[in-house]
Amino acid sequence: MTDSMKGLVKALALGLATACSLAAISGATAEELSLKGKRIGVSAIGTDHYWDLMAFRGIQDRVKELGGEVIALDAGRKDQQQIAQLQTLIAQKPDAIIEQLGNLEVLNPWLQKIRDAGIPLFTVDTATPHAINNTTSNNYNIGAEIALQMVADMGGKGNVLVFNGFYSVPVCKIRYDQLKYVLTSFPDVKIVEPELRDVIPNTVQSAYSNVTDMLTKSPEKGSIGAVWACWDVPQIGATQAVEAAGRNEVKTYGIDGSPEVIKMVTDPKSSAGAVAAQQPYEIGKTSVDNAAKYLAGQKVPPFTFVPSVLINKENAAEKGKPFLDAAEKAGVK
Amino acid sequence: MSASVLHTEVAVSDEKQAAAKSAGRRFGALVVRLGAIAAFAAIMAYFVIFAPGFTSTFNLINVVEQSAILGVLAYGMTSVIIGGGSDVTEGGIDLSIAANMGLCAAVYATLLSMGYGDFLSVLAAIAVGMAVGALNALAVVGLGILPLLATLAVLNVAAGMELTLTQNTVVGASSPLLGVLVSGSFLGISALAWALIVFSAIMIVVVHRTSFGLRLYAVGGHPEAARAAGISVPFYVSFTYVLSGFCAAVASILTVSRLSASTPGSGELLLSVLAAALLGTVFSRRFVPTMGGTLLSVLFIGLLANGFQLLNVSSYWVNGVQGALILLVVAITSFARGSEGSR
Repeated sequence: MTDSMKGLVKALALGLATACSLAAISGATAEELSLKGKRIGVSAIGTDHYWDLMAFRGIQDRVKELGGEVIALDAGRKDQQQIAQLQTLIAQKPDAIIEQLGNLEVLNPWLQKIRDAGIPLFTVDTATPHAINNTTSNNYNIGAEIALQMVADMGGKGNVLVFNGFYSVPVCKIRYDQLKYVLTSFPDVKIVEPELRDVIPNTVQSAYSNVTDMLTKSPEKGSIGAVWACWDVPQIGATQAVEAAGRNEVKTYGIDGSPEVIKMVTDPKSSAGAVAAQQPYEIGKTSVDNAAKYLAGQKVPPFTFVPSVLINKENAAEKGKPFLDAAEKAGVK
Repeated sequence: MSASVLHTEVAVSDEKQAAAKSAGRRFGALVVRLGAIAAFAAIMAYFVIFAPGFTSTFNLINVVEQSAILGVLAYGMTSVIIGGGSDVTEGGIDLSIAANMGLCAAVYATLLSMGYGDFLSVLAAIAVGMAVGALNALAVVGLGILPLLATLAVLNVAAGMELTLTQNTVVGASSPLLGVLVSGSFLGISALAWALIVFSAIMIVVVHRTSFGLRLYAVGGHPEAARAAGISVPFYVSFTYVLSGFCAAVASILTVSRLSASTPGSGELLLSVLAAALLGTVFSRRFVPTMGGTLLSVLFIGLLANGFQLLNVSSYWVNGVQGALILLVVAITSFARGSEGSR
């Protein structure tokens, strides 16, 4: 080995060692997080949707990983039940509560009671003044990105069918408002009035019949350019309806990244135009990290954004794959 | 030996056999009934010993509060079953009660949000609730449709009207009355818990301590006998459906206070309401629904969910246990009815 080569190896080794020690440092801070001896209450409005289930799992897995005890409560999409669960949870005095989604109007007085009882409150995807931290995707970005993708695919003009049944859910409000904001720059893209209403349960069936009715009402090709929804379950029904009607000029847009929808976007023949894929499992885990940091006396920002990815027709094969792999690993189709 | 004597002898031995069989079945029913009550007691005892904080006053008041809406609805259902007879397929039943509550809540919240005061909004909610009840009465008593089918149809009417009114959205509401219901308390017991206590007292007195209540049981248990005694059966049956509508309206105001809004999905409560009304029959010696029995089973359902949460048992179990209990009770009541039938 020549001297210069020795030098190179030395330098490389040094670099590697530095990198390792850096990794060790960041690893150490991650390891410092602990929930040993802590009880964390988790309340979710429901877990019937892929996103909700993955976030709920992410929270529980991370609490256990950090050595804490979880009190996991799934309200089965019933407001009454969620309120009863939160009421009992307050009486149980856990070290922190993580709340995931639901109707803010219903929840806010009860989230206030959690704080009044001196219990630190963290939320997942639920912006409320009562939470210490809300962990979520950057919905301002997501809303604008998906709207811009839609406008681009439409060539800057045409009519859009919009599902707006959940404006009372904060993330949907942000995404819808961003859509409206983007459309102010494209006056030739118009939202068809009255807007459609997505529902829970029977979301897919209901979206299918709504879109079918609207396509029947506007039978000329090109009279409808796109369907937009603030999440991707209505998008499934809308896509099926468009394809069943043979109106392939209509493309559908949604948000969340359920595996079923990513597969649709990946399929070049499908009418699913794009979906903004979030990382719900990561979001759930991150909210627990925030709670752990807070309980360890560290400072926690009011919100944490976990990155999301816009999956469209061009990049679906490459960008969609990691999401599909993760879903398969979790055993969810 | 003449043929008629032989016939009588055969008849007598048949009767004896039937009597023995019925006594056996009655004994069996008693055993199963006591078994069910023992199971209830065992579950409660387990919670008392093992669920942390279960017996604290604060927790128990919480449970009473959480049971208020279900309780008021279950009283409506119980009155319909008393007046219409407790045969599950042909007797009295009000499947529309939970959807009716959703409609009343939507009316109440919408009127409040439009700026009408509490007085008018409450009045409107009660009028709507009783009107839906009257529609049930018309279908069941006037048109003679099977209650199971009539109230199923009305369920859809009420649910459709609620959707039309709210467009499936959450309608926020606040008012002085709601403020009192949310944060008021007296003697350390919250307003919502008081609502259940007072409503229970009224229902128990009216149904079990007045001649009106006695006639109601007569109408449900033996309609022909009641008719022969000069009781207007159609009036009493109609009354129970309107009362059920009234209960739905009262429950709707409690629900809006608890959720600060009217929300879609009230229909989900139907199964719990039916469970409460049916479970209540095991607390009666003759397997008839009683208001006291309904109150006990409403509290039992509430305590079950509460105890499971305190024990950190998955909430998914609650539904399963509830379903198993319904099955058990329906089995017991049909067992008991078998003994009555062969008597």
